[in-house]
Amino acid sequence: MDPLPPELADCANEPIRVPGGIQPHGRLVALAADDGHLVAFSENWPAAPSLDGWPGWLPARLAALRAGEAPAALGTVALEGRRWDLTGHRVDSLALLEFEPAAEPLGLQAPVYDLARRFLPRLQEAHAVTALLALATEELKRLTGFGRCLAYRFDDEGHGEVLAESLDPGYDAYLAHRFPASDIPPQARQLYLLNQIRLIPDANYQPVPLRCVDARWRPTDIDLSWAALRSVSPLHLEYMRNMGTLASMSVSIVVRGRLWGLISCHDHAPRPVPFETRVACEHLARLLSLQIEAREDNAEVATRLELRQITLEIVSHLAESDATLRQLAEEPVLLRLARAAGAAVVLDGDCWTLGECPPVPRIQELTRRIALLGRELFHSDRLSELLPEMACGDTASDEGGHAAAGVLAISISQVHRHWILWFRPEVVQTVRWAGNPRKPIAAADGRLHPRRSFESWQEQLRGRSLPWASGELAAALELRQALIGIVLRRAEEMAEFATELGRVNKELEAFSYTVSHDLRAPMRHIAGYVDLVLDGDSERLGERSQRYLNHVKEAATYAGRLVDALLDFSRMGRAALKRGEINTNLMVAELVRELSQQQGERPVRWQVAPALPNLWGDPLLMQVVVRNLLGNALKYSRGRDPAVIEVLPLRRPDGAGLEVRDNGVGFQMKYVDKLFGVFQRLHPAEEFEGTGIGLANVRRIVERHGGSVWARGEPGHGATFGFFLPSRAQEP
Amino acid sequence: MLKPILLVEDDPRDLELTLVALERSQLANEVVIVRDGAQALEYLQREGEWAERPAGNPAVILLDLKLPKVNGLEVLQAVRASETLRSIPVVMLTSSQEESDVVRSYALGVNAYVVKPVEFKQFINAIAELGMFWAVLNEPPPGSVKASRPLE
Repeated sequence: MDPLPPELADCANEPIRVPGGIQPHGRLVALAADDGHLVAFSENWPAAPSLDGWPGWLPARLAALRAGEAPAALGTVALEGRRWDLTGHRVDSLALLEFEPAAEPLGLQAPVYDLARRFLPRLQEAHAVTALLALATEELKRLTGFGRCLAYRFDDEGHGEVLAESLDPGYDAYLAHRFPASDIPPQARQLYLLNQIRLIPDANYQPVPLRCVDARWRPTDIDLSWAALRSVSPLHLEYMRNMGTLASMSVSIVVRGRLWGLISCHDHAPRPVPFETRVACEHLARLLSLQIEAREDNAEVATRLELRQITLEIVSHLAESDATLRQLAEEPVLLRLARAAGAAVVLDGDCWTLGECPPVPRIQELTRRIALLGRELFHSDRLSELLPEMACGDTASDEGGHAAAGVLAISISQVHRHWILWFRPEVVQTVRWAGNPRKPIAAADGRLHPRRSFESWQEQLRGRSLPWASGELAAALELRQALIGIVLRRAEEMAEFATELGRVNKELEAFSYTVSHDLRAPMRHIAGYVDLVLDGDSERLGERSQRYLNHVKEAATYAGRLVDALLDFSRMGRAALKRGEINTNLMVAELVRELSQQQGERPVRWQVAPALPNLWGDPLLMQVVVRNLLGNALKYSRGRDPAVIEVLPLRRPDGAGLEVRDNGVGFQMKYVDKLFGVFQRLHPAEEFEGTGIGLANVRRIVERHGGSVWARGEPGHGATFGFFLPSRAQEP
Repeated sequence: MLKPILLVEDDPRDLELTLVALERSQLANEVVIVRDGAQALEYLQREGEWAERPAGNPAVILLDLKLPKVNGLEVLQAVRASETLRSIPVVMLTSSQEESDVVRSYALGVNAYVVKPVEFKQFINAIAELGMFWAVLNEPPPGSVKASRPLE
């Protein structure tokens, strides 16, 4: 979007608070607040006003003024044989008194009473903000007689949008038009907050200069911010004339201390507005402000209630389940929470989406960039300004996924990149401006002119989504709190489980150790006594008895070996890891030599890769691992001629490992999960001896190193077993 | 006259099997049997039941680790702490490889340890080897205190 032309911004520098003059429909005096001496007066007094003639009323009224308060009505006073409405206020060290010719007193018929009687009840019946504004423009028009009353609201950028209007025939309609923020410079906005009603009865007026009688003051030293008679900027008068407006009045709508909007009244002809009517208008604006605030609060409460219910729904679903954030991506209400078209859950490298989302790599890229900002919540309704490539609909559709124009994101963890994101599509907005806000301004006379054209000018805003409402942001933050709560609770539970698991495991280990230890003695005794019988008295036994006793002995010996294996296994789990750099080439070479010797004459072809990676681990335990894998390969390739056993290297950035491949009997992949279990065997013991604990030991040792094991096989076509150990750099 | 072998064993079956093993290893030494650590110490210190026995230390003590009353390690500790007993070779008998760790890590100065094998033949071999070494050859064990024994 182009910035607005700089010229218009310049009127922000105009001295609008200290114009040094007033409008001619009233008179002003400035008195010193301390001793009451005359400091300045407007030149439409017949002569310098003589305060001596005012002693009857002046001191009491001056005393009533308090610094910092808005202008106060000080009643009517008689001067020069006429009645004047008097208002006064303090500013700096001055008291400013403003005199306007008084209308006939209306008493209880005064418009302010009428307002309370008729207008207020109607206002209370209106529910929508636009309905309130429509009532207010109508009433204001009735009160003042202006030909057109516009009510507009300022958006976050200060552009005003007309939400209600009340017109006489012959006045242009501006409903739904926008006025650029530059029409009302920031310092004027400040003033509108202070002084909530402003009147220019005749745009063709000649300002009345102030004249100072106190030599310490100049007219442009006197701050007229609060003065009803303050002369306005010549630029503003020009703007009015361009609009065909000779009289204007504007009343501020201040909601929660912010300039929420304005009601602006125009007339083609000059139009005085008596003091009492202005009081009623100001009152009306205050009533309206309160009602808007109440309606907005109600709407906000209703929205928040709805969003909170959604949050609760999400959280309760999550709390009932295993509480993984990933599950959020299966909750369609997640979209409703932020009124979004798509949502994504990002957990570090993983991403799950719901609804219409950009492609996952884009989401990851976006999340990385948002994470750099270090905020717990991020939102934008014009993503293209942050990430131009995000919004390109064409390329996005090439990759699949949907372009997003708006994003709302919350971070769930300070440590990890855990985010939840919502996406909104582009909404092409057509804006009707009251005149082109970016049209260059012809300045033939070299002076700055406000825009001369107020004809409708349409503009399309591209690349934007509907803005994220504060209630939606609050709901997202609330969800974030709840999720963090769940995640933390879950983490605590996990820690408790882990502690409990560790304790139970230790108990189990102690138990299994004791049991195996105690079992070992009876096995030894059985084997021992049977041996004694067989050795000493075998000739007295029949052949059958000898055979039975041999079985007893073998069974006892086997049971004893099982117990030994179990004890070994238990020791693998408990022995402290003493890690070092392991020369794998050397280790494998030694083991191959050792195993080859045990094999005798069997034809075995060892194919050990020339350069095996060094490993970071406990050398003794890792030797157990490799011996087991090589021994298994040898065992299960028995009967192959030749048996071929390969040892292959495995290198990864985060560590290294080995694979051992044989051409033996192999196994069915459906049993792969059983291979590494304790006492799991896939072959009958007559065929392949063993206790079934070797691979369990392998897995236990490797996993204690933080590594992993795997196996692949095919019946009759050999098997491959491998393991991976993290490198030293991966150690925490 | 050969010094006796002191066998400290509480389990009757282990005791019997160890005796058979010692018998088969054809050692001529007398085997003195005690059934717990307290008795072992009484024997060694010539107290109680053993107050009347002739003076002299055994050639070797075969000491089970797990014993009632006073366990094997405590016996070992007492032996090593005593001026007159500290030079006796001590062979620890353990029920499992696991227990051997305890013995190994124990800085009391054990001369050898035997994990009782499940297979009886292996056990006989182990006992025979140990017996030959400690009871017959009676070589001073490496790091044993024999060299520093005060002259009697």
